[in-house]
Amino acid sequence: MSLNLKPKKWAGAIRQVTLGARTRRPLVVAGGRGLPMHTFEAEFPHRPALALEITDVDPPRWPDAVRQPWDGVVGRPGEAAARAVRDFGADLLMLHLVGTHPDRGNRTADEAVADVRGVLKAVDVPLIVKGPGTGQKQNEVLSRVAEQCAGEGLVLHSACQEDFRTLAAVTVAYGHVLVAESPIDINIAKQVNILLSESNVDLNRVLIDPLTGGLGYGLEYTYSVMERVRLAALGGDTMLNCPVICLVGEEAWKAKEAKVPADKEPLWGDQRARGLHWEIATATPLLLAGADILVLRHPDALAHVRRTIDVWFPQTAGG
Amino acid sequence: MALTGLQIFKLLPNTNCKKCGYPTCLAFAMKLAAGKESLDKCPDASEEARAALGAASAPPIRGVTIGSGDRAVTVGEETVFFRHEKTFVRKPGLFRVLDPAKVADPEATVARWAAIRIERAGETFRVDGVAIREIPSAAAQCLACADATMKHGLPAIVLAETPDGAGKLVEKLKSHRPLLVPPAGADPGPYASIAARHGIPLVVSAPDLSALASSAAEIVKSGVADVLLEPPAADLPALHRDLTLIRRGALDRVHPGLGHPVFLRVGQGEIEKAVLGITKFASVLVIEDDASETWLPLWTLRQNIYTDPQKPLQMDPGIYAIGEPGPKSPMLVTTNFSLTYFIVSTEIEATGVPSHLVVVDAEGMSVLTAWSAGKFSGDRVGKALRELGATDRVAHHTVIIPGYVSVISGELEDALGHGWRVLTGPQEASDIAPFFRDVWSGYP
Repeated sequence: MSLNLKPKKWAGAIRQVTLGARTRRPLVVAGGRGLPMHTFEAEFPHRPALALEITDVDPPRWPDAVRQPWDGVVGRPGEAAARAVRDFGADLLMLHLVGTHPDRGNRTADEAVADVRGVLKAVDVPLIVKGPGTGQKQNEVLSRVAEQCAGEGLVLHSACQEDFRTLAAVTVAYGHVLVAESPIDINIAKQVNILLSESNVDLNRVLIDPLTGGLGYGLEYTYSVMERVRLAALGGDTMLNCPVICLVGEEAWKAKEAKVPADKEPLWGDQRARGLHWEIATATPLLLAGADILVLRHPDALAHVRRTIDVWFPQTAGG
Repeated sequence: MALTGLQIFKLLPNTNCKKCGYPTCLAFAMKLAAGKESLDKCPDASEEARAALGAASAPPIRGVTIGSGDRAVTVGEETVFFRHEKTFVRKPGLFRVLDPAKVADPEATVARWAAIRIERAGETFRVDGVAIREIPSAAAQCLACADATMKHGLPAIVLAETPDGAGKLVEKLKSHRPLLVPPAGADPGPYASIAARHGIPLVVSAPDLSALASSAAEIVKSGVADVLLEPPAADLPALHRDLTLIRRGALDRVHPGLGHPVFLRVGQGEIEKAVLGITKFASVLVIEDDASETWLPLWTLRQNIYTDPQKPLQMDPGIYAIGEPGPKSPMLVTTNFSLTYFIVSTEIEATGVPSHLVVVDAEGMSVLTAWSAGKFSGDRVGKALRELGATDRVAHHTVIIPGYVSVISGELEDALGHGWRVLTGPQEASDIAPFFRDVWSGYP
């Protein structure tokens, strides 16, 4: 008996979203027509994109192992951006405006704009801008950035079910891309997209952030929600077929396992390698579950994932 | 694939003799199709009918056991492609490669591996077994490795180089049901006869998936019941393809040779390969790297992927110490949903403030869900705090509750009794640090 293994065909496809415009070198992500990474049976016009995370101020919670490669440029977004792109090979960047949070420095929206401009000047890759988190300050900071950097095709992170109107409006008005965040819940992921679409946001300019659980801290919930989102999208649900972005670095390095020194837990092994493995072992399953953009923190983790993607998509250029 | 009632009916004698307790053969066939009756109730069923029904009801992936006793590892028996469809049931066995040429004192090495126990979220991580590399020029050392493995009760895998040497190792290990792994691409004949003779499981390899399926089917016919498949893939994307097609083919029953668990070798520095294998259907991994910083993430990943998605992971209710808290330290209360616990404990730990974290039985639900379901009411939390002895731990008689359930504070104060204060904490765990700084610092 010979094997008869037919490729699986799907009615739907993932939307292709262009990140970056004007002074940015545009990067197109997603567009896959099959289950994630199933390159043996389906077409994938673009490879998954890898971003590195940089910050506006010195982030107090980064363990030494992940600060070390950024030595000298931590909290200097322009310089960090240059290093991330030129030395570490990031496809795009995420500037996390940690310092605008009312509890972490309460920097102003104008200071945030200056930081974003510094990054845009230093590099020409697309930029994700992550605000301080939900609430009034988030809207204030991100809408000012959106307005002052009109036309750059920035990726604004993020709007949610309870609070999306302000960011939806500036996304449309100033030509950006919006991340729709949902708390590991496929129904809410769909609901936010419906709300955005009703607010005149073109879903070809939307990314889904399903909320990443790090390895050992809910990774399996994110993993399964992403698989279900991808199945729905391939089945033809046009409210769920936006590309998926996962904030891997911040979740991986938040884990206790990435922070505890080896002398405290001798059975856990070398701390630096452990943290790196934590980030790789968070990123890789999420690629398999359908991530189109991974935001990483450690350049060595990016190098590892990059090698995987290079073998997987030898013919597919980035962008 | 399950048979329909009509397909089964055609296999029955069609005498309507009623000996099975049903008025007609068709009625009995319908019950069989629904899995509610056994063919044993039909005294006149033909051999052909028994064989057909037996094959249809067998699990799509055969279960295979390696080792014996309480450390034995059973893999296979999976029934779904996506974990959310039901759950993955048999955690892959993670075996460490023991290379007799590289290890001076096998006994000491295996003793060290066997002693590893890491507790995490209700599971104990241990090295599941030892994969002994057979080296023809170091036969005595190989046997010493087998002795050490048996002595510590660990399941063994023999990574063969030659049929002779492997045969000797298997002979020594035979009562412990080792898994025999021929060199990839070797003529399976001599190894299959060793496996058949001792009734032990065998790994089958082949240059491509078609050949793999037919080779496995032939080896089963030749008398080796328990087989594992080694995917032919040369790189990660090909491995992903093989793992996917084997699982899909097994579940769709496209070929009997695919209905077996998968075996995978993981070399030094191949963490992505191990991650891919654990995430995507591999059942036995032999890992060369023995570094703890490689194993901890792999064990954790396996725990995540093989968690039953229908049943939230739960913590044991109790008082968890973060740092070294004393009677003046803050005491926070939350539910026993593991994810909630991990997020809250991680945030508290990051503040550097030693704290008591009391985990209350809320049937594994998150705070808001538990509260809506009446599992996190003031009465219930108060009772739990007393029963756990949490009320004796702190001198300040203050308990901090999650911000989302501030409504229970009155009821909880009543339940705790005179002198107790209930303080409403932040809604999100990430705000515990400013809460400690701005609110708690003004307390006791």
